[in-house]
Amino acid sequence: MSASQSAVRSRAEAVAVSRAFDWMILFTLFTAVLGGYHIHYMLTGGDWDFWSDWKDRRLWVTVAPIVSITFPAAVQAMLWYRYRLPIGATVCILALLLGEWINRYLNFWGWTYFPVNFCFPSNLMPGAIVLDVILMLGSSMTLTAVVGGLAWGLLFYPGNWPIIAPLHVPVEYNGMMFTLADLQGYHYVRTGTPEYIRMVEKGTLRTFGKDVAPVSAFFSGFVSVIIYFLWHFFGKWFNKTNFIQDDES
Amino acid sequence: MAATTESVKADAAEAPLLNKRNLIAGFMLYFVFYVWVRWYEGVYGWSAGLDSFAPEFETYWMNFLYIELVLEVVISAGLWGWIWKTRDRKVMSITPREELRRHFTHWTWLVMYGWAIYWGASYFTEQDGTWHQTIVRDTDFTPSHIIEFYLSYPIYIITGVSAFLYAKTRLPTYNEGLHLMYMVSVIGPFMILPNVGLNEWGHTFWFMEELFVAPLHYGFVFFGWAALAIMGVVNTEVMAITKLLKKDLA
Repeated sequence: MSASQSAVRSRAEAVAVSRAFDWMILFTLFTAVLGGYHIHYMLTGGDWDFWSDWKDRRLWVTVAPIVSITFPAAVQAMLWYRYRLPIGATVCILALLLGEWINRYLNFWGWTYFPVNFCFPSNLMPGAIVLDVILMLGSSMTLTAVVGGLAWGLLFYPGNWPIIAPLHVPVEYNGMMFTLADLQGYHYVRTGTPEYIRMVEKGTLRTFGKDVAPVSAFFSGFVSVIIYFLWHFFGKWFNKTNFIQDDES
Repeated sequence: MAATTESVKADAAEAPLLNKRNLIAGFMLYFVFYVWVRWYEGVYGWSAGLDSFAPEFETYWMNFLYIELVLEVVISAGLWGWIWKTRDRKVMSITPREELRRHFTHWTWLVMYGWAIYWGASYFTEQDGTWHQTIVRDTDFTPSHIIEFYLSYPIYIITGVSAFLYAKTRLPTYNEGLHLMYMVSVIGPFMILPNVGLNEWGHTFWFMEELFVAPLHYGFVFFGWAALAIMGVVNTEVMAITKLLKKDLA
């Protein structure tokens, strides 16, 4: 091919071609990230995300942020450091939540008839926005990992509180006291969830009473910092553009 | 004047850079097909999919499985064989405009790949979780698995490998060797299918649908990470397309 030849006939066509590629790239990136992130999240934190009676003050608060900061860190490593787009975490969470909401409506409710107020997904959006804003303002991976990672863990419970609070109201049922969420779990029988599994709040941490959620959130934030660092470098690796020469294989 | 007229005629007859009809048709093909599949699940999951020893299970689910497996083998062999057989043996001598046109066709494949990954890894995989929480499985080939593992996963594998083969056989960009991240983004999600073997092997020993996060499922997680390698493919494509357009966009 000749270097002097042009691929387009005018500047206007070049602009149109560029925009068309933008949309195709965005769609592919969005759906591929959605698929990878969703399968990762549902199989590492899914049970806490599926059911309201699993959304407790200790393990849900601890597990969900730790396993969900992974893809946002990796995608930020691409969109910010290569293209200066401060939307990596938000795009990931938008994708994940879209996939989850479609599923909870069409399948959890539409196929197997669990009510949506029993199987709604966790809200991860406040942490994602903060993560992106910190990266945009600081332009520092270390700052984003330490401040953003901690914020990711700390914001999770407050970000979900308006949704989960009505279901954490105590009720008395057959002489036992538990939450409305627990009551939902008793009424909507899940064949794969025996009773011993549903007792999610276990251990001595419960003796801390009202302090359980903040303690769990701090621990979650601390681990999220470490996971952010790790996944930032995973993201860098996945950004590589190198080729393996045919004769090396 | 005559030359100009000839040029305009040639332009009018030329294939468009982006064949929008193919793009929309491909998108709709998966969309309409999967809506039909979801309808089938809704009707025959409950009426014929609860007891694998029942005759209606054989009729509505095992026959579905046999048909889809045969079709997948035939379609993948035909499609991959056709892409390879019709490869461009002089790929380095195409014009920049033809290269741009092929990048668009390549991106049509990639859009289809992303779309297929969504249905497989997101829609039908999480759907499997709620099915297991509702019925007690008595077979590896429970209705949700016949759709998830043996239909939606093979479809994204066929699409991903097709995209890879198209790039390798028709685009100068990929003539340098084997693009590492492209291979990861295709082979990683492909490995989820062999990992079904581990999953089913484990579930024949332990009933643990109560925990979708059970360590037995971590193989799916590990290979799901490979979807991130699409970032490496995007980076390479952006560089290639920028090279083709830079002069005109400056």
